[in-house]
Amino acid sequence: MPYAHPEVLVETDWVKENIGKPGIRLVEVDVDLQAYDAGHIPGAVGFNWQKDLQDQLTRDIISRAAFEKLLGGAGISPRDTVVLYGDNNNWFAAYGFWLFKIYGHENVKLMNGGRQKWLNEQDKTFTKDKPYHSPVLYTAKPPNEGLRARLSEVIGASGERNPNLVDVRSNDEYTGKIIAPPGMSETAQRAGHIPGAVSVPWSTAVDKDGRFKSAEELAEIYLKKGGIDSKKPVIAYCRIGERSSHTWFVLKYLLGIENAKNYDGSWTEYGNLVAVPIEK
Amino acid sequence: MVMNHDTRVYDNIVEMLPDEANPSPMVRINRLGATSGFPLYAKLEWMNPFGSVKDRAALGMLRDLQHRGALRNGRGLVEPTSGNTGISLAALGAALGYPVRAVVPERVPEEKKAILRILGAELDVVADALCPMPGQTGGGTINLAKTHAKAQPDRYVMPNQYENPENVLAHFRTTGPEIWRQTEGKITHLFVSLGTCGTVSGTSRFLKGRNPAVKVIAVQPSEGHDIPGLRNTSELDVSTLFDRTLIDDIVEIPYELACVRVLDLCRREGLLAGPSSGLVLEGALRAQTDGARGLGVMIFPDGLFKYVGYIAKHVKGITEEALF
Repeated sequence: MPYAHPEVLVETDWVKENIGKPGIRLVEVDVDLQAYDAGHIPGAVGFNWQKDLQDQLTRDIISRAAFEKLLGGAGISPRDTVVLYGDNNNWFAAYGFWLFKIYGHENVKLMNGGRQKWLNEQDKTFTKDKPYHSPVLYTAKPPNEGLRARLSEVIGASGERNPNLVDVRSNDEYTGKIIAPPGMSETAQRAGHIPGAVSVPWSTAVDKDGRFKSAEELAEIYLKKGGIDSKKPVIAYCRIGERSSHTWFVLKYLLGIENAKNYDGSWTEYGNLVAVPIEK
Repeated sequence: MVMNHDTRVYDNIVEMLPDEANPSPMVRINRLGATSGFPLYAKLEWMNPFGSVKDRAALGMLRDLQHRGALRNGRGLVEPTSGNTGISLAALGAALGYPVRAVVPERVPEEKKAILRILGAELDVVADALCPMPGQTGGGTINLAKTHAKAQPDRYVMPNQYENPENVLAHFRTTGPEIWRQTEGKITHLFVSLGTCGTVSGTSRFLKGRNPAVKVIAVQPSEGHDIPGLRNTSELDVSTLFDRTLIDDIVEIPYELACVRVLDLCRREGLLAGPSSGLVLEGALRAQTDGARGLGVMIFPDGLFKYVGYIAKHVKGITEEALF
């Protein structure tokens, strides 16, 4: 059984073969640029998840104009094939993928296994040199809101148990034992999960080397064991929306659930609501 | 004058590093649960020249890199560390002329970061990711150190204490033989904490080679702990040096007890131990309560001074205001 959309994934060897080819651009997306600055795949530009992909005044994704400025400034044209990769098992790269799709970038792919896989392969190199790409005028499409779940939709889904809600956080966060992972500040008032959500931690989707599991394995995990109905709409959420974009990518592109959305408000929105019940 | 362990005269600080002829001291526990049936001895690794058990692995790994010619042409070291290995490498680097870059997680005590800076190490502090990956604490520092080594191979080589067999060998060559000699072969139980697992694997392999009946008990903090340098077995994915067959029992201790035992060690034994030593002591005391017989040796990885802020954070009544 193949992935529903195998064209959205490339392997590290493919990237090595295609570095520098016209029309192919590499973007490293990390939580910040510390790792990128220390070394990155030759030719890759670096996007800072916190500063480049988030609006700094409103809690929101960057605006269409800011997206156009970011990509145009990096010399990326709407016709380019963009390969995204990053640290933390591609969490932030998957968020970038989601954002690229929201603004209608046609050819965007994830490098399977992310930064860590490339790092651990002897035949792959890193550089500290930052590439220069002449800026271009980038015109984005109007945002595709169909990829993004908003609070009202999530509350409705919770009540009707349709669409399916998938909580991708750790089991301790789902059951309400902890509000946030150890060491994190507690950015919600309550610990638990959205009523009706099933628990499928994001990490179950990947092998030890960070690559996605096979389509058969993913179907077993999400559809059979997780009980997700692939014919219904599905919404993934986590704490701040980046782990869930990883799962959203799996549901929509690898398993082919057409109506899959990422709830980027996630637990740091839902867990703070007044007069809205949660489950433990 | 020539190097002489008896008079403690040395030509170079590196000669002071411990081995069978110059072991780190072992001190008997006298007031905390002392019994004649199961005396406990603490092996004080903070008496090593750079202040921790990590001096052993650092020297072993550095010597190996020297022999392999990996440190020629001004090349230095880059290493992920919760502090102690970095301090040992930076001090050795200072003595032998190698630059050192240390990559530490943000939660490492400020004292350790300050010491690394004082020693002239270049320091990268890795922020804990917004959502850390369960079971992979330390992954960020390991990856950043690997990145430096991959992006600048002419400037850095990475010893990688989590995978380097020299880390285990250092303890097989020094810690194990020291304990065997110091206890005159009478050791029955070894209590040790887990980090990279170099200490437990190397020491256990040596001691069990001499006497297979020696019991090796690994003491680990409960999950969710914040004791610098230690790992719960759920976090050991990062280390390839963990060998379960060399460990008889793994005892889990609520991590909050580590600081309580530090106070006990300081106030009732005059042993100025750090939190990992407190944890190991608790593991040994439990074995004693459970009726263990023979002679127990506890490896106390490092001392108190780097953890003043940590202790202030964890012990009620000892606040930073009261201390400083």
